[in-house]
Amino acid sequence: MATVTLLRNPGTSATLDGYDADAFYCELLGDRDNPNRDLTKLWHRLQQMELTDLASRAKDAERELFMLGITFTVYNERNAIDRILPFDVIPRVITASDWAVLDAGIKQRVKALNLFLWDVYHERHIFKDGMLPAELVFANSNFCPAMVDYDPPAGTYIHISGTDIIRDDHGRFLVLEDNSRTPSGVSYVVENRHLMQRAFPDLLEGFAIEPVSDYGLHLANKLGEVAPPVLTDLQIALLSPGVFNSAYFEHIFLAREMGVPLVEGRDLFVEDDRVFMKTIAGPRPVHVIYRRLNDDFLDPEVFDKESLLGVPGLMRAVRKGNVTLANAVGTGVADDKAVYAYVPRIIRYYLDEDPILPNVETYICREPRALTYTLENLDKLVVKPVGESGGYGICVGPKATKAQLDECRELLKKKPDNYIAQPMINLSVCPTLVEDAVEPRHVDLRPFAVTGRETWVLPGGLTRVALPKGSIVVNSSQGGGTKDTWVLRGGAH
Amino acid sequence: MTVTLLSRHAESIFWLARYLERAESMARILEAQSSFQRARPDQEGWAWILALYSDQENFAKKFSEPTAQNVIAYYVTMLENSSSIQACVRAARENARALRPLISTDMWMQLNDFYARLLGLTENDFSETKLSRSCDSIKRGCYAAIGVAENTLYRDESWPFFRLGLFIERADQTSRLLDVQFAQRATGVMQDLTPEQQAGVWNALLRSASAYHAFRRAYHRGFDPADVARFLMLDMQLPRSVAFCVGEMRRMVRKLRCQFALRNAQRAFDRVEAFQTELEKAGGNGNFLAELHVLNDWVQRELIGLTAELGAAFFGQEKEDAGAGQGSEQKQTISSQVQSQTSP
Repeated sequence: MATVTLLRNPGTSATLDGYDADAFYCELLGDRDNPNRDLTKLWHRLQQMELTDLASRAKDAERELFMLGITFTVYNERNAIDRILPFDVIPRVITASDWAVLDAGIKQRVKALNLFLWDVYHERHIFKDGMLPAELVFANSNFCPAMVDYDPPAGTYIHISGTDIIRDDHGRFLVLEDNSRTPSGVSYVVENRHLMQRAFPDLLEGFAIEPVSDYGLHLANKLGEVAPPVLTDLQIALLSPGVFNSAYFEHIFLAREMGVPLVEGRDLFVEDDRVFMKTIAGPRPVHVIYRRLNDDFLDPEVFDKESLLGVPGLMRAVRKGNVTLANAVGTGVADDKAVYAYVPRIIRYYLDEDPILPNVETYICREPRALTYTLENLDKLVVKPVGESGGYGICVGPKATKAQLDECRELLKKKPDNYIAQPMINLSVCPTLVEDAVEPRHVDLRPFAVTGRETWVLPGGLTRVALPKGSIVVNSSQGGGTKDTWVLRGGAH
Repeated sequence: MTVTLLSRHAESIFWLARYLERAESMARILEAQSSFQRARPDQEGWAWILALYSDQENFAKKFSEPTAQNVIAYYVTMLENSSSIQACVRAARENARALRPLISTDMWMQLNDFYARLLGLTENDFSETKLSRSCDSIKRGCYAAIGVAENTLYRDESWPFFRLGLFIERADQTSRLLDVQFAQRATGVMQDLTPEQQAGVWNALLRSASAYHAFRRAYHRGFDPADVARFLMLDMQLPRSVAFCVGEMRRMVRKLRCQFALRNAQRAFDRVEAFQTELEKAGGNGNFLAELHVLNDWVQRELIGLTAELGAAFFGQEKEDAGAGQGSEQKQTISSQVQSQTSP
């Protein structure tokens, strides 16, 4: 804690004096043996702010988010109730050198996963070469037979991805999950920054921070790269399930930032395998659809027949090459828990490169050596079922009773294919404003990557923070909030 | 010019404006009533407002007596009544929610704030002594919403639909006001009043349409009923007169037809042009007051017809259903409230 002591103002008490990150990696202290100048500058600036001032401005900021309608919506019988995602005003900062690693690592990962999906829906080399058990993919409910032999423009299946990344005790970035279907949260990245610029100009002053407000422009350009050949009037649309979707604000945000219509299934129809939207001037062709609707609901002719949210015939139009869906259908096989464990091998297989960003160490229990290790170290590991219905059935070794461990052991022996095991990771922390103090809280990071012919990564991403003390659950449904995420420019000042 | 406005959004913006205008009219009528009821010792009290919206039957299901308190509750806070102020503003806000990709953030913020304030009003705010002030604040909320729209909406093809909603609703409200007041006159209720009391009635009517001072400027003396009726129906400088509203409708439909080159606007244009011509002709009628009820009936039918024509041409509605007044049965949920209903 030497650094923290040095940063203290002798004789007076200041905002961060009581801050103790313990043994966790702190995003603001950074490498404590080798302090970063910008991080130290921000630390001092926070020290000079009165806690009461910080708190009152934080309150104003949250009210502003509400008034601006940067909300998600919950419903009861009578009313639609708008809530904001809790916002913490102390930013999370990523240094230029750290970002360089993340940026390269994410691009590498997206590239490999797109090549993997092409292979899955075409030649299936990786299975023939015995690198990946075929049933992991083909028995998976996210595998989409309607996509077999369909050639998406530029070979891109995952146009928009959000990779969940955590940082361990040593400050090492680890990928926790790939979100390759319809990852959400990017609107908060941009809006959080705008809010900070309005509410805390004094905190941002003098830092060279990578901009985030051009996300919509990049997105529209990348989607244009994968459009079917159109002579004039390329039309992109954003397909939303509608005002009742909890992420409706984000849909509005994306449509506005790209300047494209926000459509619902009922606004579209398919004729002669072409997609049209119903405008006041009659039907108008649509060429690229960024859909924020799950695969199942997209086309009642192919998927869920009861779905009223989708567009009958949409998949016919896709297969004819008349419309491009972003993301493509059937990408769920690439962000599955079971496949996740193989992603480092997938990267080596398709790119002949070592993964830049490691996975959380994962033991694939279908492999005998991994199973043996898992059974011997059950009390130290987190064992997760890989079934698509994941989430329950997780056994957290260090916190489990003997009976629970025994039960887990039996399940593992009976059906090892169904499990992976990972060590417990201590998530990094970030100073966070709580009731009447600034305390460490655990954070993760979800950078957003957009891919047309090539991949562009929005600098930073969504930092989610687990607000309850000691919690490592960053999900908004369980007390998670967000922070502005700064990527510092390299070489500046 | 590439037109990309979705039919659904056009319909939503049309109804957003209608609901705002409707809430505003309601607030103004209640305010005028509270200020001038003492000038009307005609036993009619607050019941005439029920007649104005043909709500007698629905009202009777909820309340026994048309007391001030009951009528105010029915038209201000009762969400089950789709023409109450709170229901109108809620419907406006739900339409705005669907339109958020098109409208300005300022507009959404103002509506959000306005709705939150409206929900915060309690029965106490509508007591005899506070009614006028509360109605005034509601009116100003609506003015602000329409003003923000005026100042921030992008003038693409969505703009005419906003204005059409606004002026169709306004013409509807003015025509109803005229009809109900002059219907009373026809039944002879007015004859029993002193000249001062009669003047009070016309005064309240003009104030219900924000037209009192304008009327004074146009007609310096007295309240000749025929003058009042002509003023509210035909004056081309009064922004709430039926003729003024029809003129604006014509301008907006013409914009759709010419500036945005929408061929499907032609029928609506023909219709609104004929509407305007007929209305001008009616002004030449020497016996204007005697024909007023027939004229009002015709105005109401024309407004419904024009709404139906817009529905068929732009909102993707089936011709038979359009504007036929359904919707209230279906609007049990919030979702269908975004799907607008037609006039009360």
